[in-house]
Amino acid sequence: MKWLPAFVVATALAAPAFAHHSAAGIDRSKSVTLAGTVKQFGWQNPHSWMEVDVPNEAGVVTTWKVEMTSPAFLIRAGWKATTLKPGDKVSVKVFPLKGGEPGGLFQSVTLADGSTLTERAAAPRPAP
Amino acid sequence: MKRVTATALALTLAVAGVSAQDLGVLAPANLAKPRPKPALDITGTWFIDLGFPGSWRFGPPYPKLTPDAQKHFDAAQKARAEGKVYRDDIGQCWPAGVPLIMTRVWSISMVQLPTVVYMISGFMNSLRVVNMDGRPHTDPDLVVRTFNGDSIGRFEGDALVVDTTGFIDHHHWIDNGIPASDALHIVERIRLVDGGKKMQIEYTMTDPKSWEGEWKMTKQWNRVDSRDMEIAEVECLPDLNSHIPSTQSKENVR
Repeated sequence: MKWLPAFVVATALAAPAFAHHSAAGIDRSKSVTLAGTVKQFGWQNPHSWMEVDVPNEAGVVTTWKVEMTSPAFLIRAGWKATTLKPGDKVSVKVFPLKGGEPGGLFQSVTLADGSTLTERAAAPRPAP
Repeated sequence: MKRVTATALALTLAVAGVSAQDLGVLAPANLAKPRPKPALDITGTWFIDLGFPGSWRFGPPYPKLTPDAQKHFDAAQKARAEGKVYRDDIGQCWPAGVPLIMTRVWSISMVQLPTVVYMISGFMNSLRVVNMDGRPHTDPDLVVRTFNGDSIGRFEGDALVVDTTGFIDHHHWIDNGIPASDALHIVERIRLVDGGKKMQIEYTMTDPKSWEGEWKMTKQWNRVDSRDMEIAEVECLPDLNSHIPSTQSKENVR
């Protein structure tokens, strides 16, 4: 039975319904990489989220809103409430909003130490 | 012995000033009443089996809809074809409601007592109360209509049968574009299978304001016993969606 929760989680992450809302506003056909600074990180149910200040070439800063899954799923993927702090330099990959507003659905983040986190738990191990 | 128990119960009620009919489901005197052994115990934490046919959605296939419901369904299909979503009320923090709350991709904890079953979804901590103490449905003139309805349960053979009426008639959907009305009536036949590792619920739903005849389907859940699958406090707070940009996008058709 030990493998079951991990299997369930992996399956749930593959399903379109783990969110509390429809993802119709998200453009999954392309990814955008945001290089910027963490403004806020919300460790919150039913969704965690982050705001990232992203400067353009002229130095004008735009705040991107990035929606994420719940802390329960993030914990299984190696996250902690303290993983992101305001001021952290990050590179965040998102599926952007269709409408072009500065927001999107989280894919992965690369931290200042070079490590990368996603929302996916490690592959389940077979039962002993 | 039974006579002594009944006498003691009557005395207890008289002292407390409560008639037997008014006892709440958690009243010790109600819990202590002699009852047949339950056919099954669904106490535990469950997670929708996404590999089971039909999985977490209610339809397709769909029944023949009434003209009013068909308008919503057509609008939802049009939105989908355009890459949009029609009236995603759950995304705006409205409750999912029965039956959809049962199949959200979140754990759901159930606590079965002799007089009541409590079902608490990890999704928004939505609560279902299934009264098992023999009472009928709440008087239609008194019922407070809700998204999860007014449920009473009984055992039939190897099943727990839950009968639910008293639903609210707005912002409540069976599937995208299929509205639930105040005439919705749901019967759930709950069984444990695979040695209690799985739970199946056979749904029979009628709603003459939204579709014709009975709409039947079966869903399955896996028992999940580990701590990391327990339910937690989850609320849709007023500021949540300000951080979730897709809930504000133009692709949400109202």
